[in-house]
Amino acid sequence: MARPLADEVRAIAEQYPESTSAVLPALRIAQERHGGWLPPEALEEVGEALGLTPAYCKGVASFYDMFHLAPVGRRLVEVCTNICCGLRGAQDVLQAFERELDVRPGETTPDGAFTLRAVECIGGCGWPTVVAIDDRHRLNVSAGDVPGIVQELRGG
Amino acid sequence: MADVIVLANADERDLRQLAEYRAVGGYTQLERVRSLEPAAIIDELNTANLRGRGGAFFPSGRKMQFIPPKEQIPKPHYVCVNADESEPGTFKDREIMNRVPHRLIEGSLIAAHAIDSQHVFIYIRGEYLDAFETLRTALDDARGAGLFNGVTVVLHRGAGAYICGEESGLLESLEGKRGQARSRPPFPAASGLYASPTLINNVETIATIPKILELGGAEYAKIGAPPDSTGTRLFCLSGNVVKGGNYELPMGITIREVIYDLGGGIPDGRALKAVIPGGSSMPILTADQIDVPLEHDALRALDTFLGAAAVIVVDDRACMVQLGLRVAQFYMHESCGKCTPCREGTRWMVQLLEAIEAGDATHSQLDLLLDVCDRILGKCLCPLGDAAAMPVASYVVKFRDEFRAHVDQGGCPFGGESSLEGLFAPVDQHTHHPVAEVPA
Amino acid sequence: MSAPELVTVTIDERSVQVPKGTGIVETAAAAGIEIPVFCYEPRLGAAVGACRMCLVEVEGMPPKPQAGCTLFAQDGMVVKTARTSEMARVAQNATLEFILVNHPLDCPVCDKGGECPLQDLTFRYGPGNTRMTFDKRTFEKPIPISPAISIDRERCILCYRCTRFSESVSEDNQLVAVNRGAQTMIATFEDEPYTGAFTGNVTELCPVGALLPTQPRFEIRPWEFQAVPSVCGLCPVGCNIDVDQREGKIKRILSRNHPEVDEGWLCDKGRFGFSHLYAEDRITDPLRRVRSRGLEEISWEDALDDAERLLREANGRIAVALSGSETTEDAYALAKLVRKGLGAHTAMLPEEIGGGLDAFRAPLSAIRDAELIVVLGEDPVVERAPIVDLWLRKARRAGAEIVEIGPAGDVQIAPGTTARACRKLKSGELGDRLRASERAILIWSGGGAGGGSHLAALATDLGFADKPGCGAFFLPETANGRGVAEAWAAASDDEGPEPEPLGLLIVSGDEAAANPNVRALAEQAERVLAITMFHSLAVGWADLVLPGTSYLEREGTYVNVEGRIQRLRRTAIPPAPDELAWIAQLASRFEVELSPSPSLVFAELSERVFGGVTYEDLGEEARLPDRVPLEAAPAESADEPVPAKAPGGTLQLLRYRPLFSGAAVERVPELQFQRPAPEIELSVKDAKRLGVRRGEPVSVRSNGTSVQLRAAINKRLKAGVARIADDHARDLHPTVEVSK
Ligand SMILES: Cc1cc2nc3c(=O)[nH]c(=O)nc-3n(C[C@H](O)[C@H](O)[C@H](O)COP(=O)(O)O)c2cc1C
Ligand code: SF4
Ligand code: FES
Repeated sequence: MARPLADEVRAIAEQYPESTSAVLPALRIAQERHGGWLPPEALEEVGEALGLTPAYCKGVASFYDMFHLAPVGRRLVEVCTNICCGLRGAQDVLQAFERELDVRPGETTPDGAFTLRAVECIGGCGWPTVVAIDDRHRLNVSAGDVPGIVQELRGG
Repeated sequence: MADVIVLANADERDLRQLAEYRAVGGYTQLERVRSLEPAAIIDELNTANLRGRGGAFFPSGRKMQFIPPKEQIPKPHYVCVNADESEPGTFKDREIMNRVPHRLIEGSLIAAHAIDSQHVFIYIRGEYLDAFETLRTALDDARGAGLFNGVTVVLHRGAGAYICGEESGLLESLEGKRGQARSRPPFPAASGLYASPTLINNVETIATIPKILELGGAEYAKIGAPPDSTGTRLFCLSGNVVKGGNYELPMGITIREVIYDLGGGIPDGRALKAVIPGGSSMPILTADQIDVPLEHDALRALDTFLGAAAVIVVDDRACMVQLGLRVAQFYMHESCGKCTPCREGTRWMVQLLEAIEAGDATHSQLDLLLDVCDRILGKCLCPLGDAAAMPVASYVVKFRDEFRAHVDQGGCPFGGESSLEGLFAPVDQHTHHPVAEVPA
Repeated sequence: MSAPELVTVTIDERSVQVPKGTGIVETAAAAGIEIPVFCYEPRLGAAVGACRMCLVEVEGMPPKPQAGCTLFAQDGMVVKTARTSEMARVAQNATLEFILVNHPLDCPVCDKGGECPLQDLTFRYGPGNTRMTFDKRTFEKPIPISPAISIDRERCILCYRCTRFSESVSEDNQLVAVNRGAQTMIATFEDEPYTGAFTGNVTELCPVGALLPTQPRFEIRPWEFQAVPSVCGLCPVGCNIDVDQREGKIKRILSRNHPEVDEGWLCDKGRFGFSHLYAEDRITDPLRRVRSRGLEEISWEDALDDAERLLREANGRIAVALSGSETTEDAYALAKLVRKGLGAHTAMLPEEIGGGLDAFRAPLSAIRDAELIVVLGEDPVVERAPIVDLWLRKARRAGAEIVEIGPAGDVQIAPGTTARACRKLKSGELGDRLRASERAILIWSGGGAGGGSHLAALATDLGFADKPGCGAFFLPETANGRGVAEAWAAASDDEGPEPEPLGLLIVSGDEAAANPNVRALAEQAERVLAITMFHSLAVGWADLVLPGTSYLEREGTYVNVEGRIQRLRRTAIPPAPDELAWIAQLASRFEVELSPSPSLVFAELSERVFGGVTYEDLGEEARLPDRVPLEAAPAESADEPVPAKAPGGTLQLLRYRPLFSGAAVERVPELQFQRPAPEIELSVKDAKRLGVRRGEPVSVRSNGTSVQLRAAINKRLKAGVARIADDHARDLHPTVEVSK
């Protein structure tokens, strides 16, 4: 059985002079445990573990793009569409994913397998287009690569 | 002499391995300076004239000198390494963490010694999962090898917010809050993390320190474009260029050299239109200005900055209104929402640029856009507002004809052929509950 | 302390001297110059510099506008505001233009219109026209964030005053900002109501019409209000208030900052509680008991005749049960009537406080300045004297050490042992530190009668009498319990025998009328005369009912927790003559000389007990009377018997009277959500032993009474103790059995 969230969070909190600092790591763990997003219960659990109100946790979580307050798919496909990738065809890559997955950016496939998102620069500008799949970056992705990537993700 | 400092030996060896790093002299500077007075380290950095690599170019030794002695403020002192690298166009800190993590760790521990600190926090952007793992392993190895000497090093992951690269947003975030910028004074040196004296430096700045101590400050100061722009930078080359990537070079190299000698020029036989010299927040340069050396003073003379040394190449396919719009959308999305001019002004900029791009704007709205930029500039709580206003204003000023053409022709003169046509911005995709209806 | 160093600052060419470190906004004000602000509010902690309304030009600083609110006066500083600096003028104009870009400009239908800083500052500094031609940001609006407060997010200018209040004043952390950038909005968790003792303050902090009380919605325009300065009469703090009324009817209550008492905060009971005046069961005419039909309305003439007859027939066998909500004047009048006119000297006073504390008098603000604070007692401070809780929080934030000694304290003691714990403090490490400190405070919050004298004995022992920074506070249960006791004592020096049997019981005020002990006494009385505001408190037991009035409807004084005498003003027209008017009439029938004028009654009483101060001396912002040196060591009351330890398996019941309870609160629809949930607080250990989890239903039993409650876990509660609000504890005995 997995360690209770509160125990894990408290262990992390000990690294910091003040336990509130552990909010981000705690939210990340809670998100992992709740299928990739933060339902209200998750915010309550984090609050409980750190002695914070759920409202506080929501205020924090909603500030950061990597926390999801609505359900997401099992795989998260994120395409950088900032200027450096944009100058080199990021929109084609994004559109290719839209076609392959049949969703718009921000949406989840009906089977819950994928959420597609456009994201701001994720720091691989010299190797456009950068696509993050569950936070692992793929560099130099072109629109032509997309069907293969989706197939690989579906297969694996 | 070899002008590779930060990435020295990384091409020949796998410096992620502790043993390999030690084999090229790694951690000897740490061990050497631990017996020195902190002042000796700071002197060396001042002699080297090391300036911050995070964008503001502030003298690093002086910043350390601002940290009050423990007798004056008897609280723990903290070192925060800024590894939040989120400025569009920058990806150098990622390279440093991925390839020479121990140099960063060594630099952090030296910095801690220099300000009499026992606590180092490395704030790494959440999107850098690979770099996080590499750094975590390196930290474990170094800790295991007994190199920390009682200093704690905590690797803290961000969660997706550009503002957390801004030093005060970083501190708020590290304290477990919304990463909203803080009003200064008090400055972090006096009251930073947990209201204690705090030194904040960029990854590259910190990773340069061991080599400066190895070479000696005077020797280091000869590299680059002294007296102010000494040493090397990791230039992040991106955009319409054949070979994008990081290039460590002495400051003072020209943009032309970077693009054509190292980057292989513009692909697809296109013409150069413009260059952003330091990351998306910097005012743009036109194609005829590329003989400028990449160093502080020369760029200042052209009303722009080296920033984080991110050179973004724009060729003639790009519509400058679309570029401005996309840049403004980014800063609107990343505004922390604390101060009025940034929160409201960036949104207004986006609306004006959308109207211009759609051909719905009037000439007076071009002036209004400049005025809105002007009304943001210098009036915000932190420099993020400036980061939106400065570049966009520079596009309007330098490419005024192209902006006017949008108005005159009632639409984009590129007619759908711009390389940035239809570029989607995350701000239009409601990642959080769609509580605020932002009309298109 | 040495006098603070003065520095000279030049603001718009005017030179002004202020203590070093004064904020620039205040420095400018001292020079008669306004620096406009939205987010700046020193009571919320350090300035945040968010709204950018206060931008000024400062010589020698970087050549861009500086946020005046974040700057402090330094010698030789030269500041230029929008009056003399083009840079500052443009910057302020820009800020207002940006604020208005997304503002709905719905001033004509906004309840804030007329008293809105945004309106005023736009008029003075803003752009005359709008250059914004695009769609504004829209939100669903207005929506309730609680039954008492609604939010209009389109009007919100994101100054973060409300969230800063929630985070760093009340520290409830329920009202937060969510999302980022232009999408930021103020919200509670999952749209749950914003609950807590102090939520209403955000409606006053909000500088626009974003957070408004639901009570007077769309009803009136602020400029039609008349503000009457008074004090709140619902707890012993006595917050200073402005009562906004129109045509004699109260529309709203706002704080009126008394920096030593309340710092401009109010609790929700005080702010929203006024509408009980307009409750359906409010008594407006005298009532006489009719055997078969209950109560019938009678004329005032008949009522006074009846009253006279009741008083005469009792033949001196009279007792008076007084409420702590009585004005000092009313209590004195009633006391004088029965004591001088009828020789009846028996009273049931609202509470026993115990003397001697006036030697350690200090303003409540001394709590903020303390370094060491000991809170003794069984009741949560916030339930008794809510503002004291805010002072304590402020002290803690400023670094004070606070030691709570009680069944749910840092030092856990059994119920009923507070007096013992108090005495123990005379020796021991904590006592030594209290003795050594120049800034220490003692607070007694419930737990046994006579706490005041125990506290006085301790404070004497600790040498507090000679240390102006040290003080001791006994938190009474009632708003004017102290004043009522003094008034009773002042009316006569005579004493008399207990009436036996009791001929007439006079029950004065709703608190007395609702008190079970008073009810029990009434059972034994031949006749009962009740003065009360509400029907339901009168039916079934009173022979004659005279309509009562509230603290908002009469002139008079209250003596608060500090011993500060504060003036109540008539802020609304009562439905019946006030008590003093008819008591004076009645008194004349017994040849007792009594003026119907509160100021004259006060003058008479003040000669005897308040050193002769007059209403004029008290003024609108009453000062704290000087300490009264102790003549002899305070007589300590005997300890209450320590309740027997609960036998195995059972728990000791700790009851408390919640802040949101009582006759007023029960009649305010907007406050119902604030009343305590039907819960029993259990210690972690007992919860574990009983196998109950948070929120689970449990049954609580004692001697034949059984109550169903939900379990709440209180991590600070001592094992073996269970805590229940009075409202839910009903007839439970001091020892209860809890089971699933
Ligand atoms: C909006 C904004 C974003 C920033 N982002 C970063 C960043 O991602 N990494 C960084 O090192 N510095 C960033 N900075 C600069 C930091 O505030 C700070 O100046 C820097 O970390 C100091 O380190 P240095 O002196 O070594 O450059 C940013 C500044 C602003 C205003
Ligand atoms: S609701 Fe009012 S107080 Fe709160 S942030 Fe908005 S404008 Fe400020
Ligand atoms: S612009 Fe795409 S990774 Fe930076």
